[in-house]
Amino acid sequence: MNKISLIIQREYLSRVRKRTFIITTLLFPLLYLALIFGTSYLSEKAGTKLKIAIIDSSGSFTQQRIDKANKDFPNSTFTLVQEMPATLDKQFEQKGFDGYLVIPANTMVSHSPDQLVVKSKKTLGAVSDVQTKLNTIWNEIKYENLGIDTLKQQLLNESQLKVKSENMEHKTTDASVAYGIGFVSGFLIYFILIIYGAQVMMGVMEEKTNRIAEIIVSSVKPFQLMIGKIIGIACVALTQFLLWIAFIFIIYNATRAGSGMLNNSALTGAVGGVQQLFTSTNVPVILALFVFYFLGGFFFYASIYAAVGSTVNEDMREAQSLSFPITMIIIFAFFIMMTAAKDPGSPLAVWGSIIPFTSPLVMMARVPYGMPGTVPYWQLALSMFVLMASFLFVTWFAGKIYRTGILMYGKKPTWKEMIRWAMRK
Amino acid sequence: MDLLQVAHLKKYFATQKAVDDISFSISEGQIFGLLGPNGAGKTTLIRMITGIFYPDAGTITLEGHPFDPVNDIGKIGYMPEERGLYKKMKIGEQALYLAQLKGLKKRDAIESLKTWFSRLQMDSWWNKKVEDLSKGMQQKLQFVTTVLHQPRLIILDEPFSGLDPVNSNLIKDEIFNLARNGATIIFSTHRMEQVEEICDHIILVNKGQKILDGTVQGIKQDFKEHLYKISFAGTPPQTAAPELFTVKQASSDALVIQKHPEVSNNQVLAHFLNAGSAIESFNELLPSLNDIFIRQVEGTPLARQFQTLQD
Repeated sequence: MNKISLIIQREYLSRVRKRTFIITTLLFPLLYLALIFGTSYLSEKAGTKLKIAIIDSSGSFTQQRIDKANKDFPNSTFTLVQEMPATLDKQFEQKGFDGYLVIPANTMVSHSPDQLVVKSKKTLGAVSDVQTKLNTIWNEIKYENLGIDTLKQQLLNESQLKVKSENMEHKTTDASVAYGIGFVSGFLIYFILIIYGAQVMMGVMEEKTNRIAEIIVSSVKPFQLMIGKIIGIACVALTQFLLWIAFIFIIYNATRAGSGMLNNSALTGAVGGVQQLFTSTNVPVILALFVFYFLGGFFFYASIYAAVGSTVNEDMREAQSLSFPITMIIIFAFFIMMTAAKDPGSPLAVWGSIIPFTSPLVMMARVPYGMPGTVPYWQLALSMFVLMASFLFVTWFAGKIYRTGILMYGKKPTWKEMIRWAMRK
Repeated sequence: MDLLQVAHLKKYFATQKAVDDISFSISEGQIFGLLGPNGAGKTTLIRMITGIFYPDAGTITLEGHPFDPVNDIGKIGYMPEERGLYKKMKIGEQALYLAQLKGLKKRDAIESLKTWFSRLQMDSWWNKKVEDLSKGMQQKLQFVTTVLHQPRLIILDEPFSGLDPVNSNLIKDEIFNLARNGATIIFSTHRMEQVEEICDHIILVNKGQKILDGTVQGIKQDFKEHLYKISFAGTPPQTAAPELFTVKQASSDALVIQKHPEVSNNQVLAHFLNAGSAIESFNELLPSLNDIFIRQVEGTPLARQFQTLQD
C-alpha cells in the first residue's frame, strides 16, 4: 500500500510540475472564453449588410416607416426608390444595391399577400433578415389599417399561451438547466477519458521503452505499478478540474461585479447559466455521482489504455492503431450522451446509461433530469453496479496483459496471445 | 550456509522451454557467475529469482526459507541488462524513489545516497536529469540504485557494458567490496575474461538447461587437455617420445606438448633433461573459460529454435 502511494506521488508530481500542465491549465479557460466572446463578436460585426432597393407599388411603405426600420434593424439597409422595375433591373448594381424588391400593388391587409422576391445577381443568404424587417413594417401597417392602438398591440404581442414540462418529483428541475448540467458533466467525463486515457497509455509506453519497468517490477507487483499510475493520473485530472472550477468562480464573481458596466449578451448569458447551476437544488447528489462516474469510467478505460500501452513498443503508429477502437467507443458514447441530454427517457439513453462502455457519460446526462422521475432508482443502482463490476473485471484483466506485456520486447503480440497472457495464472 | 538454493526450476513459455529443470546453490559471500549464450534462459532464470516471474515448477530458497517475492524483495538488488531510468526525472529524486520502493525510509535513503554519490564521485549530479548523463554515467547511477538498500543478494546482468576501463575498475572494486562485506553476488555475462577474474563459482546454462557447474579452477581442471608449454634456453630438442607425449606446436624456443594422462610431469621433464636441453619454464596450459564455453555451446544451434509446447 505504501509502495502504491509512492508510485501515485511520483506519477502525480512529475506531471503537475511540468510546464505543459501549468500552461494548458491556464490556457484552456482563456481559449474557452475567447471562443465564446470571439464568436459572438464576429457574428455581430462580420455579417453582410445587405442594401436593398424597394419599389413600393402598394403605397403603404412610406419613407418614414422605412427610416424607422433601418434604425431598429441595422443589419440591412432599405432604400425606397421611384424607378420602374425594368430600369432598376439593369441599374441596381451601379447604384450600389445588392438587390431590389418590388412590393406589388395588391399587397393589402384584407387578403394574404403574394410571396415577395428579392431580385439579385447573387444568391443572398440573409433573406430571412429582410423578411423579418419587412414584417415589422407590415405589422405596423396592419395595426393602423385595422385600427388597433398601441395598448391593444401590446396585448396582442404579450398575451400568449406558454407550455413547459414539470417534473412532479423535483419541482425545481428546469429542463434547460438539466440539459446544461447533463451535457457539461458528460462532456467533462468524455474529455477526461480521451485526454488522460491517452496519458496513461503514453506513460506505460514510456516505462516500457525506457526499460525501467523491469526495475520497478523487481520492487513492486506490476499490478501495483499499473494502479498507481492510473490513480496518479486521475489525481492530475481532478486537480486540473478543481483549478478550472476555481477559475470559473473567480471569473463569475468578477463578471458579476462588473456586469453593470459590461453589456455583452454572451457574458451575461454565461453568468446567468452559472448562477442557475449553482442555485439548482440537487447539486450535491450530482456532484457525488459525477465523481463516481468519473472514477468508474476513468478506471475502466484507463486500464484498457494501460494494457494497450504495455503491448506495443516504441512505434507510435502501433499504439494508435490499437487505441483507435477504444477512442471510437468513447466518441460513440459521446454521441449517445448528446441525445440522452435532450431525451433522457429514450430506450437508447436508458441502455446507454447501463452498459459500462457508455454509462459514465450517458448516465451523467440523464441524472440532472431528476430521480426517480426520469432515472428510476433501479436503473441508477444497476448502472452503478455494472460499472463497478466491469471496472474491477477490466482492471484485473488488463493487469494480466500488462504484467506480461511490459516485459515483452520485439514483435507485437496478436490478440490471441494477449488473451492467453491474461488467462495464465 | 547456502544463501540461495534453486531446485528443479522450470518455466515454459508458449513456444519455448525457457528454463528447463535447473538446480544450483550459492553460498554466502560468493561471487557467482551465471553464464550462457544469448537466449539460453539466463534472464528468465533471474526474473524468477527476483520474483518478477513465478516458476512453473521447482523451488527457490533464500536464507533457508522459501522465497517470498513480497517480503524478500528488499533483500535482493537487481540490475537488469537493459538499463532503465526515467529520462525527465532528477537524478537524486529518481534514486530516492527507487530506494523507497525497495522499502527504505526517506531519511536513510538520502543519507546512504549521499555516501554512495561521494564515493563514486557523483556529488554534483543530484539535480541533473538523466537525459544529461552519458551512458557510462547512467550505468554508475544504476549500480548505486541497485546496491543502495544493502541487499543480501545482488544480481548484476552485464554490469560493465558501456563502461570505460577506469569506471569498469571502479565498479569491479565495489563488487569485491560488497562481497567482502557479506553480500552474495550473481553475475550474469558472456564476457569470459571478466568471469575468470571475478567469479568464484560458475554455472553454464544453454537451451534452458544447466550444462556446467563448479568453481572456475575446478572446471578448468575438468576440461584440461594435458597441454604443457616448455620454453628452452636454446632451440628445442628434436627428440620424440611417442610413449610420453605428442608435440602439438613447435616454435624457435618453445614446444607445446600434449602428454598422455597417465604420464607424470617428472617423466616428461626427465626426458628433456636427459636429452641435455636447458629448460627455462614448464607450464600447464589450462583451457580458458572462453574455450570451454565455445566448446560446450558449439554444435548446438546458435539461436534457439521455437518448439510447440502443450500448455
